[in-house]
Amino acid sequence: MRPEEFPDSSYLVWESRCKRAKRRLPVRQKTSTVNSILSVQSVTKFYGRIRALNQVSLEVPPGSVYGVLGPNGSGKTTLLGIVMDVLKPTGGTYAWFGEPPSEKQRRKIGTLLETPNFYHYLSGERNLRIAAAIKGRGMEDIPRVLEMVKLTERKDSKFSTYSLGMKQRLAIASCMLGNPDVLVFDEPTNGLDPVGIAETRETIRQLAKEGKTIVLASHLLDEVEKVCTHVAILQRGQLLMAGDVREVLINEDIVELGAADGSLQRLPELLAAWPGVRQIKANDGLIQLFFEQGRTPDTGELNRFCFDKGIILNHLQLRKRSLESKFMEITKD
Amino acid sequence: MLSLLRIEWLKIKTYRTFWILLGIVVLAIPGVNYAVYGIVGSATSGGKGGAPIINPFGFPDGWHTICYTSAMLFIMQAILIITLTTNEFSFKTHRQNIIDGWSRGAFIGVKLIGVLMLSILSTLIVLLTVLGFGYFTSKTGAHVSAWQGSRFLFFYFVQVISYSMIAFVIAVLIKRSGLAIGIFLIYMIVEQVAMGILTHFLHFTPAEYFPEETTDRLIPFPGIHLISEAEWEHRIPGHLIVAAIYLIIYCIATTRYFLKSDL
Repeated sequence: MRPEEFPDSSYLVWESRCKRAKRRLPVRQKTSTVNSILSVQSVTKFYGRIRALNQVSLEVPPGSVYGVLGPNGSGKTTLLGIVMDVLKPTGGTYAWFGEPPSEKQRRKIGTLLETPNFYHYLSGERNLRIAAAIKGRGMEDIPRVLEMVKLTERKDSKFSTYSLGMKQRLAIASCMLGNPDVLVFDEPTNGLDPVGIAETRETIRQLAKEGKTIVLASHLLDEVEKVCTHVAILQRGQLLMAGDVREVLINEDIVELGAADGSLQRLPELLAAWPGVRQIKANDGLIQLFFEQGRTPDTGELNRFCFDKGIILNHLQLRKRSLESKFMEITKD
Repeated sequence: MLSLLRIEWLKIKTYRTFWILLGIVVLAIPGVNYAVYGIVGSATSGGKGGAPIINPFGFPDGWHTICYTSAMLFIMQAILIITLTTNEFSFKTHRQNIIDGWSRGAFIGVKLIGVLMLSILSTLIVLLTVLGFGYFTSKTGAHVSAWQGSRFLFFYFVQVISYSMIAFVIAVLIKRSGLAIGIFLIYMIVEQVAMGILTHFLHFTPAEYFPEETTDRLIPFPGIHLISEAEWEHRIPGHLIVAAIYLIIYCIATTRYFLKSDL
């Protein structure tokens, strides 16, 4: 049974509600600005005629791991570039630690923005010395951070001889100089092998446990789900949703049901009023029931109900909605 | 400011290219002057290896001659400045320096100071070269002050810092080493050609106040100034003022550009 052969009023109602929700602009977080580590207010950025950011506002609470999610070209790197004074906003303001932006604040922040930027003719250690000198701290920390990213043996090699993964690790080491309380990572696992990715993820988790505030731009959705406490979703420069990750990226329960062709058609109408059902979809010959958060269904009861109505199910499965599908739903046109 | 300079020193103290280019600057000034001295010496000794009849490298003419010769080597300072400046853009370390905690003003400011320091170093080398040639080649018993004509050293400083600042402006705008050097050289030629056309064919005398020409006229070819020395003396203050205005414009333009632009 294909979805287009399957008229379902409840599904259509839900789809229109989603579209209306996406058109509600701009999205603002309801968080006090007083204690925010980073406060972004209506930031807009144009590159010529191209609008990269459109009145984006968000607040990063202290001690949070704040994920910035979005497809390619959504404005994640532009947003981080603006708050690190690498890019100039066309409009709007931002503040670090409740104060107007300045270079003194940036010295307190460990930042990895886009690609690792070091002097190619200098060794890894010498590059870190320059970074520590600019930050005004962390010179004694160099051996520790090099050991942390496993570059101690190559510390005297020129940066130009490093592989992509080693360059990325050196950039992470530079961020950690002086043990800053705030970290900004733009795709920190870019270029790393699976072991490096796992280690970086574990490092971020460990840093979060230590109470550090982390702003993390990433494509890796499971990484965001596992690590982040808050998330902002950008698309084409627009902030679609922002807030607690448990609210934004709700992981709903889904029940998949299958039955003989003739009976399958009756299921949506039969189950539309089932307690907790938020949405009904047809997918690949099965019916999917999406439940509201916290309303985990009793599959035994469902099966019994269908049987009493004369429908014998040949497929019944309870699972969580994938984060990827939730993300795709939020960001699709 | 000292901490900024210390960090700049960390960037270049182990950079081999820097030391090679700096070595060329340091050695070329006395070296080229010595080569010219050899040519002039044999030409002015009657061809028989005797004492030169005239000595443009002794006091007081040595100031003019050596400053003029040294000023023709401006391309070496320009290449050094362009290389060091464009490296920052090529490696994107200008972004990283800002991210790590420098202000944009501090970044561009320390680069401008670097240009000034290189110009001062070049001037000191010229001073030592003049004193060396003067003491070793001047006729004994001649009652000439060693410092007579030393104003040419100031004119040399103005000229070398002007050329260096033009190179710096081009480096900041172009951001690519090879292209910046090419555009710098082309500009030098184009201005000379334009100045020649405007002055000789169109009688447009303000052309002598073009950026390159206004400092070139501070140190004319040795000997030629004797022909119209009074007129040359009369124009010196005007050239100095225009050169100073250009330097201020270069500093303001590069600073504003770097403060306002996306990195």
